Amino acid sequence: MAKVDRVATNLPDLASRSSAQGNNLSAAILPAQPLIKIRVRKSWSSIELREIWDHRELLYYLVWRDIKVRYKQTILGASWIILQPLLMTLVFAVFLGEIAQVPSQGVPYVLFLFSGLLPWTFFLNAVSGSSYSLVINAPLITRVYFPRSLVPLAATLVRLSDFIVASAVLVILMVYYHQFFNWTIVIAPFLIVQLTLLAVGLGMWFSALNAKYRDISTALPVLLQLWMFTSPVVYPASLVPERWKLVYELNPLVGIIDGFRSSLLGLEFNWRSLFISVVVSLVLIVHSTYAFKRLDEEFADVV
Amino acid sequence: MRPIVSVRSLSKRYYVGRPRNNSPTLRDAVIEAINSPFANLRNHRNGVVPLWALKDVSFDVAPGEVVGIIGRNGAGKSTLLKILARIVKPTAGEVDIYGRVGSLLGVGTGFHPDLTGRENIFLNGTILGMKAPEIKRKFDEIVAFAEVGQFLDTAVKHYSSGMYLRLAFAIAAHLEPEVLLLDEVLAVGDKPFQEKCLEKMKSVSRDGRTVFFVSHNLKHIEELCRRVFFINGGVLYEECDANATITKYLKDISPQEERAASAP
Repeated sequence: MAKVDRVATNLPDLASRSSAQGNNLSAAILPAQPLIKIRVRKSWSSIELREIWDHRELLYYLVWRDIKVRYKQTILGASWIILQPLLMTLVFAVFLGEIAQVPSQGVPYVLFLFSGLLPWTFFLNAVSGSSYSLVINAPLITRVYFPRSLVPLAATLVRLSDFIVASAVLVILMVYYHQFFNWTIVIAPFLIVQLTLLAVGLGMWFSALNAKYRDISTALPVLLQLWMFTSPVVYPASLVPERWKLVYELNPLVGIIDGFRSSLLGLEFNWRSLFISVVVSLVLIVHSTYAFKRLDEEFADVV
Repeated sequence: MRPIVSVRSLSKRYYVGRPRNNSPTLRDAVIEAINSPFANLRNHRNGVVPLWALKDVSFDVAPGEVVGIIGRNGAGKSTLLKILARIVKPTAGEVDIYGRVGSLLGVGTGFHPDLTGRENIFLNGTILGMKAPEIKRKFDEIVAFAEVGQFLDTAVKHYSSGMYLRLAFAIAAHLEPEVLLLDEVLAVGDKPFQEKCLEKMKSVSRDGRTVFFVSHNLKHIEELCRRVFFINGGVLYEECDANATITKYLKDISPQEERAASAP
């Protein structure tokens, strides 16, 4: 009680002192330029890379939170990271490999399949995960400021960590099937970087659209299903008729998944599809980040 | 004196009565997606009523000032804080802030129910803008303030609502930005905890920090703030001193709301 009284009686005194101090403080401490400038329209500068860097700790915690929370209240826990692609491999290996006898460029079908499913599962989960991310994180977005692109970025990085863990299974399969490790394996990381950037870009675009139009969450699974069958995931790109090849290769995943598989299993590269995929990816990434930026200003109002 | 926060002709327009699902079908979404880099997003807002949440608001706030913001529900108080916090963009006007901004516009922002108290302190602290070493340094203080010591490793979904709010406020109270934005935070917890929060708030303002404080509790406003803004229909009023502004507000609100506003 006594403490409270002292504080109360001191208040006016402190107030005057702090305002006197304030005079000196403002001259001494206030920076010459404002730290924060709020303007109606920010000049567009791709995605705010510097701000993302400044908030890297928050990015880390968003990824950490999602990894930590994802397998709470599950029996199998983190083993789902490996089980999900394995079970899909099993299904496709039985129905496409054994029953339909889909060709696999001379490598065991399971190996062929898994080396396609691995990047595809990452892409699928990253894009669908980030497309929900802004809506799920609405309480955050409407109450705190941080670069909004962190949200879909974090959702993609969570899936990238899954991808890295599940890659161990691929290595085990390669050893099991006595698949030699080729020098071309050094190309794979570059393709994964490209795939990650593409997933981040599309994830940002879809998440922004989903914040505004919830149709996206209904339409996206269909689109992604379609996307999988127009990519060389469960069948080799060589099955596509020559006259459709160029159109087919406009799908950036053709170059990435085909290239990833070739680099690991020492198959022949299709340099044309790789080149097309880099160009198309760049266009999509630039478009997506720009679209995200445009919608960014409204998130808190519409989400 | 140079202001730490300078607001010039700030306005924010919302559209009300806009049916949320008037046209956003998949087709529109696709068209929108294709057009979005070029087309004006505001072109299909015909036939809805604009509502000015803020109209031509200008003010300067000096470092160390504690500003109370009062007004009826929907007057635009929270909109002002959200613009200062950079959560929503203004429709017109400019703001310059010469310092870091911390905002507490809802208690427990970013708490995850499945994470423990300890984990949530780090998550929430980071979300509110603290750095990891800063959180580590203040960790014990936060735990002591929140009085949740023995439940630190329990998931917060098992916390009582009181414990949850105490922890949330404790983290926010240990923020150290130059400009602090607070929206109705003292409404949490029981009487003793409210007193504790008020004490903490006073010590925060004594540190020379600039505080914007939205509340309906005029007693708290009077105790904490030397300046008071009264927002009515998006327009900001400030009389020569805090008491005069509060009196204007009291005169303005209808008799039944006056009783509700716990006038001193």
